[in-house]
Amino acid sequence: MKMKLMRVAFRNIARNMRRSILSGSAIAVAAMSIVLLFALIQGMRDDMANNLKTYYTGEIRLQNARYEEFERYNPIHLTLDWEKIDPILAQESFVKAVVPRINFPANLYIKGTSHAVMGVGADFAREAAFQDTAAIVKEGRLPQAGRNEMLMGSALARDLELKLGDRVTLLSNTASRGSNAITLEIVGLSAFPVGALNARYVWVPLDRAQKFLLMGTDTQEILILLQPRTDEAEAASIIRNDILAITGVDTDTRSWKDINVLYSLIDIAQYIYYLIGIFFFLLGSTVIINTTMMVIYERMREIGTLSALGMQGHELTGLFLMEGAFISSIGAAVGVIAGMCITFYLGKAGLDFTDAMSGIDMEISSILYPHFSIWSALFVYVYAVVISTAATLIPSHKASKIEPVEALRYI
Amino acid sequence: MKRRMVFILIAWVCIAQLPVFALTAEEIIGKIDDIQTFSTSVSSGEISAKDRFGVKSSTFKAWTRGTSDSLIEFTSLAEKGQKVLRTKNELYLFYPDAQELIRLQGAALRQSMLGTDISYEDMTGEKDTLAQYTAVLAGQETLGTHTCHVVVLTAKTRSVAYPMQKLWIDTQSYVVWKSQYSTQSGRLLKELEVLETQEISGRLLSRKTKISDKTRKDTETTLTITSLEIDIALDPRIFSLENLTW
Repeated sequence: MKMKLMRVAFRNIARNMRRSILSGSAIAVAAMSIVLLFALIQGMRDDMANNLKTYYTGEIRLQNARYEEFERYNPIHLTLDWEKIDPILAQESFVKAVVPRINFPANLYIKGTSHAVMGVGADFAREAAFQDTAAIVKEGRLPQAGRNEMLMGSALARDLELKLGDRVTLLSNTASRGSNAITLEIVGLSAFPVGALNARYVWVPLDRAQKFLLMGTDTQEILILLQPRTDEAEAASIIRNDILAITGVDTDTRSWKDINVLYSLIDIAQYIYYLIGIFFFLLGSTVIINTTMMVIYERMREIGTLSALGMQGHELTGLFLMEGAFISSIGAAVGVIAGMCITFYLGKAGLDFTDAMSGIDMEISSILYPHFSIWSALFVYVYAVVISTAATLIPSHKASKIEPVEALRYI
Repeated sequence: MKRRMVFILIAWVCIAQLPVFALTAEEIIGKIDDIQTFSTSVSSGEISAKDRFGVKSSTFKAWTRGTSDSLIEFTSLAEKGQKVLRTKNELYLFYPDAQELIRLQGAALRQSMLGTDISYEDMTGEKDTLAQYTAVLAGQETLGTHTCHVVVLTAKTRSVAYPMQKLWIDTQSYVVWKSQYSTQSGRLLKELEVLETQEISGRLLSRKTKISDKTRKDTETTLTITSLEIDIALDPRIFSLENLTW
């Protein structure tokens, strides 16, 4: 009987091919959109995670234990003893790379006016193990240790009408809570994937930053990359305890996920997108519901005849449910495959949000690459079929309630 | 006889106090300006700034000429070689590692100098108070052991750092023991208190002054003048831009 119903269902789908295609297309478009949306969100999360780890916090960040409490006052004097901590970190087997960095708000003094920027003091030799240092230089070269040189964000240089070889004076507050200024030559223009890093940041050699900010050999923060499959929270705890045991100084040692609230929000947002997905499919399913209802009214005579011949209500429900399920399965498959193809292409070509992202201070790259995931595609497919099929229950159930006598009136 | 003695005593007190009461607010301010303005001066001292992170001290040497020219050179290790030059209405900063002089103007003048409660703006402006403010004598008050005139200054122009000032001026020595700087609406911005004085060439001048910026929380700066010479010969090049880059 089930096989018979399936044959009838297939026949009905084929009999109204245009309508079936329309219904399937609605599901396909919804499925494709969700696949793309999930791929984009995943791409955004991966991109943000990579940028946060590479340019902002590492996988683990060490700061002076009191730094965060006074962060709004720019407590540049709350430092870490780099020379004592570096050898301790070198002993940790799960540590892959370590870099010291000094972040400091500063002003560029150009032709009598000041422009607010963010300065970063970095050891470029060590940075090579942390990030692709060659890729971030758009023009010129990286600054060298011991020289009064800087790498300036390309967008910042453009806005300030500066070029390679120009000398600019940088002013900032120092670790002695006074102020200082230093003149540096622009030897490189940066092209970081994150727009804000190109628009507001200048990078200087660590030793110059230490001298300029009167920090001695101290650093403001230490960023760590871990060996693969290392538990970040556990590693942070071990590092903190080891430093405390050896130096007697407590540090604020945290994994990147604990530091970055925005990333956690994107994590939460993923569940919201699942809910949005349900609405997409329900919207797509309205076409199926509508089509199935029209089919029921058009085939009233047939329903009446089938009922008169002894077909039960639940069998009628099953018949229309099957039709909906077939259309959904095919539509969802087409949509998911189309979504996967587009994702695959955009994953290579990227989506350029440079103009839209300009002026937005987020740790997301200007060019986003949607991330293809087979699990996400499978999830969307099952999700699409279940919701769309369930949606046909409403008209199918209605069909089962039709009395044969009433249906035969349409003859 | 007794009645005559009482009369003489009252008359003496009245006559003795007459010049004090007779002074107008403008005359009192004029006297302060006269006492505090020298043809030249060389001083050295210490600025101690206390904030939520502790106390930070810097030492300096300063040269002044007339009412508008001054040069401060920091001598403490952290700021060694940094200089602040004020000429007429302009203020320049010199940092040893910077290849250019930084001219402060506009909002930048409101920045704190070396993290203290003194802003660069506090160092600018005319010393001729009456050219910028209207003075009103608001009475007399006793501040500790000092009897003071209370003078309220209201700015004539918008170009001054503080639209209103309230000064407690010693009726005898004309030391300004306390001053409060406020906005037009009366919101207190800064408070200055003289803690110790010193006599230099017959003038009683502040030696130790406490300054607190009321817009910042829990901060206080103490300015101590450890040595001061006035009206001495100075090389005029001290106040030139070229001198800054020595």
